[in-house]
Amino acid sequence: MPESRDVLEVRGLYAGYGSVGVLHDVGLKVRMGEMVALLGANGAGKSTLLKAVLGFVETGKGDIIFEGKALGKVRPEAQIRRGVSLVPEGRMLFGPMTVLGNLELGAYSAGRGRQRQKAISAGLERAYALFPVLKERAHQVAQTLSGGEQQMLAIARALMCSPRLLVLDEPSLGLAPRVVAEIFSALETLRGEGMTMLIAEQDASLALKHADRGYVMRNGKVILEDAADALLANEHVSAIYLGSLAGEGEGG
Amino acid sequence: MADMGGKPRLPWVSWLIAAAVACIPLVITDRFLIKVLTFVGLNVLVAIGLALLFGYTGQVSMGHAAFVGIGAYTCAFLTVRIGTPWIVGFAAAGVIAAAGGLLLALPSLRLKGHYLAMATLGFGEIMSLIFVEAESVTGGVDGFARIPPPSVAGFEFKEPATLYWLVWAVAGVALLLAYNITRFRPGRAMLSLHGGEIGAVASGVDVVGTKIKAFVISAALAGLSGALYSGVVGFVSPSVFVLSSSVMYLAMAVIGGAGSLAGPVAATALFTLLEYLNALIPSMPAPIAENLGLYQTDIYGIAIILVVIFAPRGLTGLWQRRRSASSAKGGSLAERRQGSSTQADTPARPEGLEEGEGT
Repeated sequence: MPESRDVLEVRGLYAGYGSVGVLHDVGLKVRMGEMVALLGANGAGKSTLLKAVLGFVETGKGDIIFEGKALGKVRPEAQIRRGVSLVPEGRMLFGPMTVLGNLELGAYSAGRGRQRQKAISAGLERAYALFPVLKERAHQVAQTLSGGEQQMLAIARALMCSPRLLVLDEPSLGLAPRVVAEIFSALETLRGEGMTMLIAEQDASLALKHADRGYVMRNGKVILEDAADALLANEHVSAIYLGSLAGEGEGG
Repeated sequence: MADMGGKPRLPWVSWLIAAAVACIPLVITDRFLIKVLTFVGLNVLVAIGLALLFGYTGQVSMGHAAFVGIGAYTCAFLTVRIGTPWIVGFAAAGVIAAAGGLLLALPSLRLKGHYLAMATLGFGEIMSLIFVEAESVTGGVDGFARIPPPSVAGFEFKEPATLYWLVWAVAGVALLLAYNITRFRPGRAMLSLHGGEIGAVASGVDVVGTKIKAFVISAALAGLSGALYSGVVGFVSPSVFVLSSSVMYLAMAVIGGAGSLAGPVAATALFTLLEYLNALIPSMPAPIAENLGLYQTDIYGIAIILVVIFAPRGLTGLWQRRRSASSAKGGSLAERRQGSSTQADTPARPEGLEEGEGT
């Protein structure tokens, strides 16, 4: 695939928290329309990498290039405006607000006035089409939704600003298998619409079943990169998720 | 949720209350009572700012009395020593206090919860020391005396009734401004910070800018209250702008409840009237009246503890719970009549939370 179709490229990135380095010379690419899985045991550095892409974590050497432009050290809200959207781990919804309130806030970066109203209307239409249950619950307070519905809301909220890259951090965390299947089915729908996605997921088999490609992280480094099918068949990947290499991580 | 794009509509009851507040000096002739109600207006002005800062943005300030002091001394100094028109001193009070708010906003960008509370408490203590030590400007421990009443375009607000109208007019404008802020994008951004910053940032909210705005607006309103206070009382003493006053302001915001303007305003009215209860009820037995004055701060402290335990969402929460309960009653009746429910398998809307209202 030509280089110009890379939506996101991370090159030789170092990042961490204060003096604690977590990512070491990390590189990855996400191409237009792809669903890329970021795999690794707990503490391998997946979330830190996502946070670095979004600007939540201080980065050192290396580049993060989005749609051909280096992102540099910009604040997270600026990344959102550029077209990268995050579904954070633990959903981080505005609990006391309604579903509708959460969705409207998701379009915060969509400008003001009529432009904003237009963005909200279009976003709501898309969110309700993807997750019809949210329409039924539109006036229900977010903190009273079930875990699965909250995850749906978190994804729908992230879509409200019409991102070109959707970054999801552990979307299956704490959810029942039936609900996880529903969530990933929605993500498949999004991919069908051409959405580019980068997903950090501990459930490797689940992520690889849906993803186009995957990166396996360990101790803050990318140790494997391949097509999803190839990674599924890889013994090393199986070993990680069978637990033999788990727990060797060093952060984030 | 209150829509973020439509025109804000003030509930008709708000206009009714505004009209009633405006008419009070026409029906009450007791000058002392009018003065007490003027103090209610002064505190309401501070409470509106704290409602935005604490109730919406979730930022604690234990040093808000300092902003009131900054406003009071700024207006007094400019009008008495420099001889500027009162309106200039009044505006400058808001601007200088806002600058102080900007200064206090800086630690808030890195600090949260208890640490932020400690930082703001430190700011308040430093300012109360400055009020005492900077004698050439503040008059030191003796305070700043002979401050003339406010005057605009040659009209002097000398009479209690005119002072009352002036204070409540400013409070009314501030309330309207705050109402508009909360109904639209900036208010929603503030409210989003109340739950947690990652969710807010993930929605593209400018966390830094929102926190700074909340601190600056809140400090400016406190400064304006201080400027009015200096004109109403005619004397400014450093003993007024101390920790106990900051605790009182915070108590009003906490007891009023988060995510609302009406709650803190109501709590402020209650607390301020409580302060003057012995004077308002002359027949009150002397021991009770004396103790009320002596243990004022303790009463605020106990009230905060009780509210945190029994009504964590304050007056706002109690009101919303009441409304929610009555609407649920109506809803279930309607459902029974229809014989069906579309959301039988889902949790009901929690008590007290209206569409889009956050706490």
